[in-house]
Amino acid sequence: MRKIFSSKTVVLLMVGFLVVVGLIVGSNWWAKRTNNPPFFQRAVNDLTGGAAKIISIPTNAVGNRANSLANLLNTFSENKALKSKLDGYAENKVKLQTVEEENQSLKKQLDLKKTLTDYETISAVTISRSPTTWNSQLVIDKGAKSGIKKGMPVLGDSGIIGLVSEVNTVNSKVTLISNTTEDTNQIAITVKGSAGDTNGIITDYDADKKMLVMGSVSNTANVNKGDTVVTSGLGVRVPSGLLVGKISEVTTDSYGLSKKIYIEPSSDLSKISTVLVAKSSMES
Amino acid sequence: MAGWQFIRFQFIFPLILLVLFLVDGNLAASLGFLMKEPFHTIPMLTFTWLFYAIQFGAYKSLPYYVYVVIFGVLFDIFYTGILGTYTIAFLLGTLMMEKLRPFFDEKMMSGLLLLLIGQVVYLIVTFLSGYLIGSANLSILSFFVYLLLPTVFLNLIVAAIFYYPAWSLLQRIV
Repeated sequence: MRKIFSSKTVVLLMVGFLVVVGLIVGSNWWAKRTNNPPFFQRAVNDLTGGAAKIISIPTNAVGNRANSLANLLNTFSENKALKSKLDGYAENKVKLQTVEEENQSLKKQLDLKKTLTDYETISAVTISRSPTTWNSQLVIDKGAKSGIKKGMPVLGDSGIIGLVSEVNTVNSKVTLISNTTEDTNQIAITVKGSAGDTNGIITDYDADKKMLVMGSVSNTANVNKGDTVVTSGLGVRVPSGLLVGKISEVTTDSYGLSKKIYIEPSSDLSKISTVLVAKSSMES
Repeated sequence: MAGWQFIRFQFIFPLILLVLFLVDGNLAASLGFLMKEPFHTIPMLTFTWLFYAIQFGAYKSLPYYVYVVIFGVLFDIFYTGILGTYTIAFLLGTLMMEKLRPFFDEKMMSGLLLLLIGQVVYLIVTFLSGYLIGSANLSILSFFVYLLLPTVFLNLIVAAIFYYPAWSLLQRIV
């Protein structure tokens, strides 16, 4: 025993291991606590982001070609399905316009200027996606200069895809909802059921099922498979009414005391080329 | 090696490393089929370039591990924001390949086997550190089937395609 511990290499290895573990845990803790990364990290991010933007021009072009080829292959069946959906579209559009106008005039009467549903959007282009095992993150080309703040929701082509997790000067990072770090867990959601709304939060992401989990829902809550899930606006920076997904499974938790709901995200998280960052108007 | 050639190599090697480092992220963002659920395929071109340097002996004329650490740290800062994980993954992966290199012969298939070992070490280190900070939410079986297998498969094919071009490039500039 004594011989092992007197060995220089072993001591060095152990110290090295402790330093690395400390660094990983410490920087993870620090990233969650602060709104902006340390200056050095920020400078490196801004510089690298600039270079990545240049590199992304040709690779994005190639990627888009490959994707359009793949899209072409299932165009026929897609077209058929879209046509059947299109019938109700015009009708809904007119209805939406009428309701919007009505909403505006009602707000005026009530003297309401800003509500939870009001938000402005900032559009951004994805310049990179972390080629990593965990912590799937996007790097987008807008940062603190464009008014982006940590915790703002990010929208893909059909609904919320994640939250801004790190803001640099000219770019920022987006943590996807498929990530189970604590940032993502804070999204407050509402299930729009047939018999009323049920509030809750996203508690987890089931990586094996590829679904969001809404835990600790009362057994008496009336939620069914197929119900739409939207953000409730009760969180810090997330406005209400952003589409999250649809309920695909309702189960009871292991104690049988509450319901556990699996939500299928509405956005495709595999290919995200442009995003919208939603800025709640309620925020001063 | 003539002096100017040496200097040229000192510049070209990290420059290619930097470009591949950025291309990795761009491929992950622009090629939708890589992350098509349930699969999670990670492009590892940076790591493959580091493998070529070991396989073709170029690492001897470079401050090789300095580059490995620099790009590991850059990877951590730019892609994850959590320091340490990828620095260690790159370092252990390349160290493993260098130490095992003498036991393999010069054939391409032996080289790819060496790369395979390096890749598995790299991915397992990232898996373990994910457990440490509580973001590894995949079962070990799913990790192997949906992440490790497709990643290794894709990167071995890419490494095989660019094996001889990389060999001739490294021959010329070393």
